[in-house]
Amino acid sequence: MRSIDIHAHITPEGYIRAAEKGEDWYGIPATNGGMSNNNPRTTWTPEQRIADMDSLSVDVQVLSTTAYLYNYDRPAADIAKMSIEANDYVSQLTKDFPTRFAGLANLPMQDVGASVAELERSMTQLGLKGAMIGDHVNGKNYDDPEFLPLWKAAEELGAVILVHQGGDTVVSTLTTKYHLPNSIGNLADRTVTFSSFVFGGVMDKHPNLKICLSHGGGFTCFGIGRLDRGWSVRREARVNIVQKPSNYIKMFYYDCLTHDERALRMLIDTVGIDKVLFGTDWPFDMMLDWPVAWLMDMESLSLEEKEAILYRNLEDLLGI
Amino acid sequence: MRTIDIHAHLSSQRFQHAMKNGKEWHGMTADEGELDNPMNHWDPEQRIKDMNSIGIDVQVVTANVAFYKYDQPVDVAAAIARETNDEIREMMVDHPDRISGLANVPMQDINAAIAEMDRAMNVLGMKGVMINDHVNDVLYDDPIFDPFWKAAEDMGALVLIHQARPTTVNPRLNKFHAPNSIGNLTDRTITFATFVFGGVMDKYPNLKICLCHGGGYTCFGIGRMDRGYEVRPEARVNIQKPPSEYLRSFYYDCLTHSEASLRYLVSSVGADRVVLGTDWPADMKLDWPVAWVLGMDSLTQDEKEMILWKNLEGLLNI
Repeated sequence: MRSIDIHAHITPEGYIRAAEKGEDWYGIPATNGGMSNNNPRTTWTPEQRIADMDSLSVDVQVLSTTAYLYNYDRPAADIAKMSIEANDYVSQLTKDFPTRFAGLANLPMQDVGASVAELERSMTQLGLKGAMIGDHVNGKNYDDPEFLPLWKAAEELGAVILVHQGGDTVVSTLTTKYHLPNSIGNLADRTVTFSSFVFGGVMDKHPNLKICLSHGGGFTCFGIGRLDRGWSVRREARVNIVQKPSNYIKMFYYDCLTHDERALRMLIDTVGIDKVLFGTDWPFDMMLDWPVAWLMDMESLSLEEKEAILYRNLEDLLGI
Repeated sequence: MRTIDIHAHLSSQRFQHAMKNGKEWHGMTADEGELDNPMNHWDPEQRIKDMNSIGIDVQVVTANVAFYKYDQPVDVAAAIARETNDEIREMMVDHPDRISGLANVPMQDINAAIAEMDRAMNVLGMKGVMINDHVNDVLYDDPIFDPFWKAAEDMGALVLIHQARPTTVNPRLNKFHAPNSIGNLTDRTITFATFVFGGVMDKYPNLKICLCHGGGYTCFGIGRMDRGYEVRPEARVNIQKPPSEYLRSFYYDCLTHSEASLRYLVSSVGADRVVLGTDWPADMKLDWPVAWVLGMDSLTQDEKEMILWKNLEGLLNI
């Protein structure tokens, strides 16, 4: 039995060192949030991280730099350079600890051409497995044709695109209280992202694109019936696609981060067991505390399903 | 076997007559009231014929959300509310076995809203009110609304929650019908969370709130809300138990457009908390709602009967 975590974050050492001195890093202020004062894990060394992985029974983390590093609203050239350093850092960790780490790249999404170049470098030179990106880029959704070269490149490179919010969510426009921008907003945003890819026709154009929606794909599987109804009754929902959205639900991967066994069961029943991946959100407070035990203990999953989630699906998907 | 629909709308005939005759009606225009939908032009007799066709015995009628008008001066909204409520009252009098009603109230002025709710409950014989997910972006954990919850609790009024455009999805993706197909459900989830995390349900434990559209994503997303409660002090400022403990404090209509999701809802909140709601006559409605519920393999006959009529009989005393 192995366990591979697709949803585990890291803050690059370069940022930590700069922030400790109170200095900017590629224009990103030290107070950006990549390190959180009340979360000591964000500044742990790789060795401390591995000790914690041992304690949690996580064999491999597929590292993605924290979403605080997206910075899509900053100058593209700065963030392209920052991404190079961040991705080099992650790549080095995968080389230093090849049995414990794999990695996903950060991309300067405000510049699609630079993102394609960095994804290509990350896949072909750094040995990374794909990239993690936000739900949108400064309000631009992924049905925008501007992004098509990136989907084409990702498809050709076999890159996994992990989708994960950064900063404000749709909920933030109405309330910032009670942690709702995260606890509801992350899930709502992921559902909107699924819809952008599907209704926007991206999945028709790039059927081999490997997209993993973190946080279990948000509310997608529960809300798919209403998306289908919208497609049935509204012309504007059919401008790009001739099939109902539920026909696309098995084209995506989803992590298991539902915080609810019944919700995970419904996700599996909706998208198929081969599409659900182990993801923990380490090291943040909204992570699964004891993720392997959480899954192993579930009465509603067979042992075969648990193994598919914990490692088999990601072994196949990432070739690790 | 009976069927009672808690989620059925009316585009005011008084308003439509005024528009047809080129008359002024509280500043509203003919591009409001969803008149592009021919069913919205139907008179009560045509409505009842359609109810017969789809197997609905009783509609609990609410004014279309175009008639909320929370952003207008309160006297305008109050006048619209009175007229739409009087019109529903006429339908109830003409068809006492077929039509019940929930009132429209001018929520931008809490005293005026309470006064109209009082008139609706005690003079017009209505069963409660339908209100938006928020009032001009002010959410229901704001203490300004406390007198309203107290009055609703005292009167035994059912408070049905139903969005009006725009929803929180509009600013991000105003395409593909996503502001409705995702936004309605997101907004309802925020409203559940606002009532719960805001401490409203602790203060008014007998408040009868029904969340339209199956409560949105609430039951599916409750695990993450519980997690937020565990790890974040700001989620615990008003409450001392996890939000999942409050799931059964609400009612939910069955408008999920998915049997698997309805089954999930029933298993999460209990069959005694789920009621028939169709969204008649909107295009996002359930087309054949009674047959849809009756045809479900995953619900027992008892559960179907609770959803179709028993719960609402008890809740509304009709």
